[in-house]
Amino acid sequence: MICAALLGVVLSAGYFYYGQLTHGLGETGLNRPVYWGFYIINFVFFIGISHAGTLISAILRLCQAEWRRPITRMAEVITVVVLCIGGLHPIIDLGRPDRLLNIFLHGRLQSPLLWDVISITAYFTASSVYLFLPLIPDIALLRDRGIKPHWLYEFLAWGWQGTQQQRKVLHRAMNILMIMVIPIAVSVHTIIAYIFAMTLRTGWHSTIFGPYFVVGAIFSGIAAIFVVMITFRKIFHFEEYLKPVHFQNLSKLLLVMSIIWFYFTFSEMLTGYFAGEPHELVIFWSKLVGEYAVWLWLMLFCNFLLPVVALSIPRFRTITGIFIVSCSVIVGMWIERYLIVVPTLSHSVLAVGIYHPAVVEIMMFVGAVAAFFLLYLLFAKFFPLISIWEIQEGRDEAAAAVSRKVASYQPGE
Amino acid sequence: MKKMRNKIILLMQLASMLGIWVLFSGIIWWLANSIWSSVELHDVPNATIAIAVIAMVVFLILVIILTYVFIGLQLGRDARVSNTEGNDG
Repeated sequence: MICAALLGVVLSAGYFYYGQLTHGLGETGLNRPVYWGFYIINFVFFIGISHAGTLISAILRLCQAEWRRPITRMAEVITVVVLCIGGLHPIIDLGRPDRLLNIFLHGRLQSPLLWDVISITAYFTASSVYLFLPLIPDIALLRDRGIKPHWLYEFLAWGWQGTQQQRKVLHRAMNILMIMVIPIAVSVHTIIAYIFAMTLRTGWHSTIFGPYFVVGAIFSGIAAIFVVMITFRKIFHFEEYLKPVHFQNLSKLLLVMSIIWFYFTFSEMLTGYFAGEPHELVIFWSKLVGEYAVWLWLMLFCNFLLPVVALSIPRFRTITGIFIVSCSVIVGMWIERYLIVVPTLSHSVLAVGIYHPAVVEIMMFVGAVAAFFLLYLLFAKFFPLISIWEIQEGRDEAAAAVSRKVASYQPGE
Repeated sequence: MKKMRNKIILLMQLASMLGIWVLFSGIIWWLANSIWSSVELHDVPNATIAIAVIAMVVFLILVIILTYVFIGLQLGRDARVSNTEGNDG
């Protein structure tokens, strides 16, 4: 029923996209000088969400944080799904999707847009491999239990039997990948930031943009993991696997990221204001008290005030509270991307303009969100959302290993 | 019948590995082509070319890891156990 509804929304978005294909980008709200609007905002937004999936999974694995075990697969699936969705948005923004071929036929390396294509392709590939490899033992489990479609699980299991030799091979590969995927993930959002920072546009041409985007991406990604965790915990009754300790630990991370995000936002705004460059001040005041003020203050509320207050106070740091904060952060981070893209373009040096998204752009966004949940549910239909073999490994081996490790830290050991 | 089925599955797996190699080789070739154009035209900073080379290495490592895992899992199988048994993971 839910899948049918989501599919309906996606198909509606497809219908609107068909209208855009037929009649051109004039169907959208894009116009001089605001050439980038919802599509690029959503592109940055979705790629940002992808960040924490693999990053959280890889970093928690690297740190051998045992509480990561039920979370990692959900995070990895988020990454792969949103990369697919986010990566489509520049193609939609092109107007004529056949022009994508120019990237491959006539691409030039000095273009940050080409760097973006390379980095996102590398990240998507690495994330897909990083999702697939730890999935193999669970796929073999489904194969052995005769779950249909049996041929699919047999094909994907790659002959896994759980022998000593096979475990060694898999662990070795996963160890290499979890180290590789971290710099790739950081580079992706840094390069997306470079699309803006490498221009000479006021408000974009900033050295802080690279780390600012990375921090924002991790921030929104953790919030997305929470939304997914809490939603599927409710739907599939994962209470035994996703315990309060998981939410407490990740919420502390979310709190820290909120503070770091605010620090970067404050730095970005302060340096712009202090320099006093006239054109920069126009954009600054338009955000602070002008036509974009509502969005700025809403963003600060959603991304800083609410998370810091709610997550600092244990009484509010409940699963419901965390869910509300996470939704707020996701909304706030979308607004942040809007405030990065639109004010600078609408106050460009040569022209001033306004931007109002058209129905097609709004529908494409709604369709993209629906597509995310639809693809996630489809994955959940065929593969376990919680890593069964890692949970079992945690039970059988990790508990004893952690005890030995802690004992080795004690004086006299 | 079962042996035939297993053979078909193995052939599909080998075909998919070949497809993965073709895809990754295509990406690496495209990157190499872009680097070559940039070197010929002398209009791209060396740092960008270096990063593109690193990207090629990343794709190469990914495809090698996949191949390593595939071959490792095939060789690590216990010949006495049938394909449909044995996961204790």
